[in-house]
This record gives sequence, structure tokens and C-alpha cells, in this order.
Amino acid sequence: MSMQQLSISRRSVLVGFAAMSLLAACAAPATPTKAPDAPAAAPASATTAPAVASAPGTGGTAIGFIFVGPKDDYGYNQAAYLGSKAVEDKFGKNLKILRAENVPENEEAERVMENMIQQGAKIIFATSYGHLDPAINVAKRHPDVVFVHQGGAKHTANVGAYFGTIWQPVYLSGIAAGKMSKTGKLGYIVAFPIPQTLLNINAFTLGAQSVNPNATTTVVFTANWCDPAKQTEAVKTLVAAGVDVVTQHQDCAKTIVEASERAGIMSVGYHADGSPLAPKGWLTGSQWNWGNLYSDIVQTIVDGKWVGSKYDAIYREGFKEGVVELSPFGASVTDDVKKLINDKKQTMLDGKFNPFTGPIKDQDGKVRIADGVQLDTVKLEAETTYLVQGVVGALPK
Amino acid sequence: MLESIIAGAIRAGTPVLFACLGEVIVERAGLVNLGTEGSMLVGALAGFAITAGTGSALLGVIAGALAGLLLSLVFGYLAIQRRANQLATGLAVLTLGNGITAFFGRSFVNQQIHGINPLHIPILSDIPFVGAAFFQQDIMAYLAGIMAVVLWLFLYRTRWGLVLRATGEREEVAYAGGYSPNRVRWAAVAFGGLMAGVGGAYLSVAYTLNWIEGMTAGRGVVAVALVIFASWSPLQAVFASYLFGGAQALQLSLQADGVDASPFLLSMVPYLLTLAVLLVVGRWRRNVMPEGLKAVFGSASARSVA
Amino acid sequence: MTRQITLAPIARRWAGAAGLIVMPVVLFGLFLALAGQNPLDAYIAMLSNTLGTTNGLGETAVRAAPLVLAALATIVPARAGLINVGGEGQLMIGALTTTAMAMVLRDALPIWLTLPILAIAGAFGGLLWAGIAGALRTRFNLNETICTLLLNYVAVLVVGFFVHGLLKDPASFNWPFSPPFADAARFPELPGSRVHLGILIAPIAAIVVWYMTSRTYLGLRLQVVGGNAEAARRAGINVARTQLIAMLIGGALAGLAGMVHVSGVEGRLLPTTGVGFGYTGFLAAWMVGQNPLLAIGSATVLSMIAVSGDSLQIAANLPASSVNVLTAMVLLGVLANFKKR
Repeated sequence: MSMQQLSISRRSVLVGFAAMSLLAACAAPATPTKAPDAPAAAPASATTAPAVASAPGTGGTAIGFIFVGPKDDYGYNQAAYLGSKAVEDKFGKNLKILRAENVPENEEAERVMENMIQQGAKIIFATSYGHLDPAINVAKRHPDVVFVHQGGAKHTANVGAYFGTIWQPVYLSGIAAGKMSKTGKLGYIVAFPIPQTLLNINAFTLGAQSVNPNATTTVVFTANWCDPAKQTEAVKTLVAAGVDVVTQHQDCAKTIVEASERAGIMSVGYHADGSPLAPKGWLTGSQWNWGNLYSDIVQTIVDGKWVGSKYDAIYREGFKEGVVELSPFGASVTDDVKKLINDKKQTMLDGKFNPFTGPIKDQDGKVRIADGVQLDTVKLEAETTYLVQGVVGALPK
Repeated sequence: MLESIIAGAIRAGTPVLFACLGEVIVERAGLVNLGTEGSMLVGALAGFAITAGTGSALLGVIAGALAGLLLSLVFGYLAIQRRANQLATGLAVLTLGNGITAFFGRSFVNQQIHGINPLHIPILSDIPFVGAAFFQQDIMAYLAGIMAVVLWLFLYRTRWGLVLRATGEREEVAYAGGYSPNRVRWAAVAFGGLMAGVGGAYLSVAYTLNWIEGMTAGRGVVAVALVIFASWSPLQAVFASYLFGGAQALQLSLQADGVDASPFLLSMVPYLLTLAVLLVVGRWRRNVMPEGLKAVFGSASARSVA
Repeated sequence: MTRQITLAPIARRWAGAAGLIVMPVVLFGLFLALAGQNPLDAYIAMLSNTLGTTNGLGETAVRAAPLVLAALATIVPARAGLINVGGEGQLMIGALTTTAMAMVLRDALPIWLTLPILAIAGAFGGLLWAGIAGALRTRFNLNETICTLLLNYVAVLVVGFFVHGLLKDPASFNWPFSPPFADAARFPELPGSRVHLGILIAPIAAIVVWYMTSRTYLGLRLQVVGGNAEAARRAGINVARTQLIAMLIGGALAGLAGMVHVSGVEGRLLPTTGVGFGYTGFLAAWMVGQNPLLAIGSATVLSMIAVSGDSLQIAANLPASSVNVLTAMVLLGVLANFKKR
């Protein structure tokens, strides 16, 4: 290769950089970056707190939401997006809603959140499990901003965590699966073996076993929140193993529901109502209804009452508050099954029934929750590092 | 269980096989197109979008093929006309495909399509063991297999195949035969893009019936690596692609069986095998690699073979 | 270099260079308009959040640092006529060995001792990974481009294997990442920002590589081997050894990039730590014809575009990855204007 020609182009590239910086320099002053409340550097913002209010999370002009996937994924991110819509309806007049989809669960999330803070956000919803540590890191730099994380089990000075006890409806959908399955073999397609997912697998299995003691749940992990090809292959693998009801803990739920329908087996949904996707095989599912919780969190923060509030902690709510719901039943679900499930749901609402009442035994038969014991939700999450008896499949080590 | 793994290997291997076959032809012409991944992505999106819009999966696959082809022309222009560095150009084209599909793909995420469904070949599909593995695939999977044979025949039994190989080996030979090496290269690159586009469309229209940003997840770049494993042979590309698919299917099957095997070690198998093949077989079959490629893969290596 | 300079070629050069920037910007503007966005607003948002604020400038620099090092990882072997596409894998392995060392050291040593040790560990990891390809190249005469490319896939899986296994944080509830680094293993940050001291390593390394390649005997040897291996052999230079050295230096630089990234911003090892940095660095190197000093500029431009994607998403509500279209156009424009032969 000729160095001569290279050096010419090389110089023109250098010139190009110069041109670009020039362009940038011209454009920069014209940008609306110097909004009155956009501090140039964080330490300044920490010390020279605006006179309006000193409570963390107040005095902002925006609310930021970060999602790990696209807003229309028929799943986790769609549910969270709808929650952000509810916040927009209620607070959109005074606070701008900033959203970022497909935010990776690594340091890039920090960059996105920093950007939102630059745009005036004093409240940030970090909605995916892996956004927790990035949020904690950003929070350290911005003590005046409140971060709320969806699903985490950590809590720091200005980071709170909220979630719903989705395992309640998951248990009920397990009843539907156990009743409707002909083979007694159920399948669960899971992304990562984290506490939330293990709780769901266990709840689903316990629900199925409550109506069919011989029911088993075969679990496969995809190590990805949303990889449609892997999801499809997982459905086929489970079908080959004799499974006739498939459920999932993934972010995007559509592929699995559709693939199950095509394979002629039944499916139990997750995150959102997928019944239109599977007119034949849809049984029911568990879904989120974040709107009220999100709005209440925002209200608490903008009122300056976040510190010491229930959200300034590891906060969980469930059926009673309406954050989790059972999805509509499919056409194939018979009335007696519906009644059975609705009755069970009522006992949960009344606080008379907790599916994780001991004795709960793990795969090896070891008692993990002693006879008659009920753990509180946070403790239950922390201690669920096992799969219950009747689950086929090993936890990846 | 074995039959479900074989069936899975074919399913998961088919999209890669399409791209791999296309890249075999590209590399036979003496070029390496890492932009294959980008062609797969635009193929997946175009395939899905057109299927969703028209209701015809056939039109979708054709659209995917065209989209893949169009993107590969960007590579062709830079690599052939401008003689830009091919590896860098390929990566840039990959980036372009990634951006374009992110840009236009968002509104298709929640759409539903009736794509291409598996066939159920009478009698044959009920044969125990082989039935489910070989006779319950969709028509595209068979097409991929047929293409491999057709391309092999093309390469070794037709004059045009000879011209293609000559272009990749020693362009003077093709030139002396009255063929323009650049035209041959253009044709090869376009074909490679087309096949990658079909592979992408297979992912969205036949395999998952869904579109999601970045859904090819590296399969196009894998295809380029598998071409080397396949020693630039269309028939061996079949084996290479199914091996890749098999590693994916095996992970899930083992899990469903309650076996705790590391998916990471399993996934390494195709790449380590490729290195092993290069190391062992490559020593006495060094001439398998098209001469022209040696320039792409580093000018120094061509010299040091002597 | 200083030949007779008349104004016309300079003007032409400026015009050509401006074209390389303006064309992609205009084309991408059309794209934005197609999506129903006002291109001007989008560009203002993109620029204000990269060059217009201290935060944006800092983010650009933070991302550019490992890219510069990854570009250097391509540049040094290129001097010896080798194409190293393996910066990607070497960087990830560098991050892995850095993490392993950080887990051993914890906060046992003071920061001024810990960081150099980690840097050595990271560089050594990258060096080892590149050494595999280098040995296959020089011992068994396998093509280094193919080997480094294949080893990239293996590297991702090796990192995945450890992050899901040995290096998994016991307190992570099965979430795949390593325990966080101790403070002694983290580059000090400027207060209130993500800008850390480690980014200084990148320009220093670029200057060192520039000096090494253009002012030392080793640099000359690399140049001769890269220019004509046969002539080098006749001149008594051990070609294989020189090429291996070039590969090892490249790998060490990539490994250092991994260390800077993981000790600087990530603070722990994730399955995705550093993914894409190696390939982007490779492109940054090709953008500037393998010039170590100019690589600082190309890496910065690529970093800036990537960072500006956030604003595109937040302000214009477009997918952040659509900014890849702009990246690709800039790259393609530059590549098209490099005549290889």
C-alpha cells in the first residue's frame, strides 16, 4: 500500500476533525444548556441547593424513565412504559417525561441517567433489574436526585426499591396450568435465576401441585431478557420433553406465547395480557399495573415527603393494592377452574392464604421454610435461592 | 432427546447456513464481508415488515433478500470500486445495518404475522427418530440444504463457478479468459448479501415470527467465521452451521433434562473446532483458502507461506 | 512532508475533509426528517450533550479512552504487516484478568500500588490472548486475522463462563456480575462526574506508541518487517519474532483498555463489559491510516457520536442505536477515501 496516498488522506482526515470541532464550537453556544436549574457540575448542586426546596427529588423539571427493552414488547417494558404514561397524564403539565428504551444493564445506563439529570430530572425510575447498581452509582454523585428501582433488594440514601408480589397471580396461574395440563408436565422459560424468577417458578409449581400433586415444572434458562430465537428454540425443546403448558419469565413475552400456540400447546402469560396472541391455548397469566404505584411514588417525592416514606426502603405491594393482576382467562378454561382460582384469589386478598407457608421443601427434599412459618416478603425474596420439589432442571452454577 | 437436538440444530442452524453459503461465494471471489450481519438484520426487518404489511411470507422473504442485497452493495462499492479495507468496511456496513433497522424497526415490534410454518411431510415425518428431525422442518430449511448442493455444483461443475474461483484465486486467469474480475466480484457480493438477507428473513418470518432490535445477535458474524471452518465449501458449510445450531439446541435440551452443563463451554465448541481444523487439516490443505483472500486477511501472510 | 504548498490543494483538501463530515451529517439529517424529526433540533440536542456541557465532554472522553487504546492495539501489529481484529477479545480478557487480580488484592494495598498492578494484570491478559494468535501465526503459519477473529468469540464466552461462575458476586442473588472493585482498585473520579484519572493513560499510550514506532529501533524493525518481510529476513531480522512482539504489544494495549474501562467506569465485571469497544477501536485505527496520534481524534469522534445517541433517544424519542447510521456514514466516507492500492 502506498504511504504517499495514505498520508494525503490522513491529512484530510485531520482537517476533518478540525472542521468538526469548529462546527461543534459554533453550535455549542446556541444550545439551550444553560437552563436556570441545570447545574454545570454536581458538587455545586449539592451545596447550593435551590431555595425552593431542599428535599431530595424536588425542584426538578423532569422525570426520567429507563427501560431495558422496547416499549411495545408485549411484556415487562410495555408494562413499565404504560406506568410512565400514567405519570405523564398526572404530572406531565409541570414535569417533562424523559424516556430511554433499550438501555443496557451496564455502565451505559449510568451515562443515560446522567444525561437525564442534565435535562433537569430529579426523579429517575430505573426499571430493569440490572439497572440497580448503575442507579446506585449515579445516586452517589447526585444526592439531590431520587432514584427508584424496580425489583431491587438494595436501598441506599437516595435510592429506593419497589416491586410487586407477582408470585401471587403466578401461583393462581399455576393452578390453571395444573388443572388444564394433560401430561402434568409444565415448562418455564426463564431469563436469569434471580430471586424474582425463582419465586415465580416456585409459586407456579406449588400452584400446579395444589391441584395435581404429580405436576412437574421443567425450567430452562436463556441468559437473556429477550432473544426471540432462543425463546422459540426453548419452546420446541420443552414440547419435545412432553410439556403441554408453557409459561415464562422473560421481558418480551410475545414470541413464546405465539410459538406455544403454533406448537398446539397451552400457554400462561407474564407481564401483559397476551390472550389475543393465542386464542386457543391461552390459559391466563400475571400482569402488572404500575400506573397508580408510579404516580404515588412521584407524588410523595414532589411533595418533599420521600425521606422516611415507605418508598424510601425496599417496598413491595401486591394483589390488594392492585399492582399485580391475574390476566383474563382463555376460552378453554372451564368454569369450575375459574371458580377455584377466583376463590383462592379471594383468600389471598383476605390475607388468609400465603402460598409460601411452610413446609416448603427444595429439590433435594430439604425443608427451606419450616412447618407453618410465613416469611415476610423481603425476607422471602432474599432467602429464595432454591427451586422447590417438583421442579426439573438445575440452577446454573 | 437426540432427535429433538438434531431438529433444533437444523432450525437454529438454518439462518446461519443461508448467510454462510452466501459468504462462501463472496470469499470464493476473494472478498470478506463482515457486513453479512448487517445484511441479515435488514433482511430480518424487511422480511417481517413486508410480511406484516402484505400478509405474504413469500413476499417477505423476497423483500428480505433484496434488502440484504442492497446493503451489501454499499460494501461492494467500497471494497471493489474504492478498494477500501474490507474488514473495516464490513464492520462499518454492519453498523449501518444496525442503525437503519433500529431506526425503522420500532413500530414493528408488536405486530403479529402468519409466517412460514413447519411442514408435516406425510408418512416420513412419523418415522421414529428421523421423522421429527428431518421431515418436520419448514420449507426454507429444506431450501437452505438444497442451495448448498446447488452451490457446490455451481462452483465445481459449471463454467461460471470456475470463473468465480479463478477470480478469487488469480484474477489474471479470469481476466485472460475474457471475464472482468470486478463484475464477478460484484455478482458475488450481491449474492452474498441476498443470501444473508434470506437468512435474516428466516429468523423473523419463519423461525420466531417476531422482530426485535438487534435480533440477529451476532449470527451474521458467526457465519463469516463458519465459512473458514467449512474450508470455503458449500457442503461443509451445512455441517458447520448445524454444528453451531446444535450447540444452541443442546444447551436447552440438557437443561430441560436437568443436566448442569455450562452453556458457555458448549458454545465455544464451534470456534475451538475451527481453530483445531485450521491447525491440523489446514497444514496439508493450506491451498484450500482462496489466494485472493490472503491479501484481505493480511498482506504479510501471503508472503510468509513460501 | 513540507513540499511546495500552494493554496489550491489545501483548499481542495479542506473541502474534501469538510465533505467527509458534512455529507454524513446531511444524509443523517434526511434520515431524521424522514422520521418526522426536525434535524436541526436533533443535532442541537446531540451536540449540546456531547460538546456543550461539561458532563457531555466528560462522557465523550470516558468512552474515547478505551477506544484509543483499542485502536493502538490494531496499529502496532499493523506496523509489522499484521491485521489484529482481536482487540475485542483481548480487551475483554484484559478486563477479566484485571477483575481477577482486583478480587485477590481487594483493598490490601494502597491505591497507588493497586492500580499499577491491575494495569499490569490487564495488559498481561490481553497480551496472553493476543499471544495465542501470535504463536499460531508465527509458529504454525495460521492466518492471524482469522485467529484473532475466532478468539473474539471465545473471549466473550470465557468472560461469560467466569462471570456466571467463579467470579460471580456471592451477594448478587445469582445476577451475573463480579463483586464490586474495592476503592483502591478504582481510578479516582472527578467529583460529581464519571471522568476518571485512567483516561489519561490513553493519550500517553498514543504518544508512547508514536515514539516507539517512529523513533526507535524496534519501530524501525516493525516497519521493515511490515514493508517487506523477505527483505527484512535478508537483512538478518528475525521476522517471526518481530511479528510476535508486535502482536503481544497490541494485545497488551487492548488489555490495558479493558483495565481502564473496568477500573474506571464499570467497577465490576459484567458479561457485556467492553463489548464492541475492540471493533470500534479497529475502525478508529483504519479511519486514520494507523496513525497513533490521529487515533486520539478518530476515537473521540466515534465516542462523541455514540454518546450523542442518548440525546437522540431522550430528546427526539428515537432509538439510541439509530445514531449508528451517522457513525456508519462517517466511517464509510472516510474509508472510501482511503485508496488501499
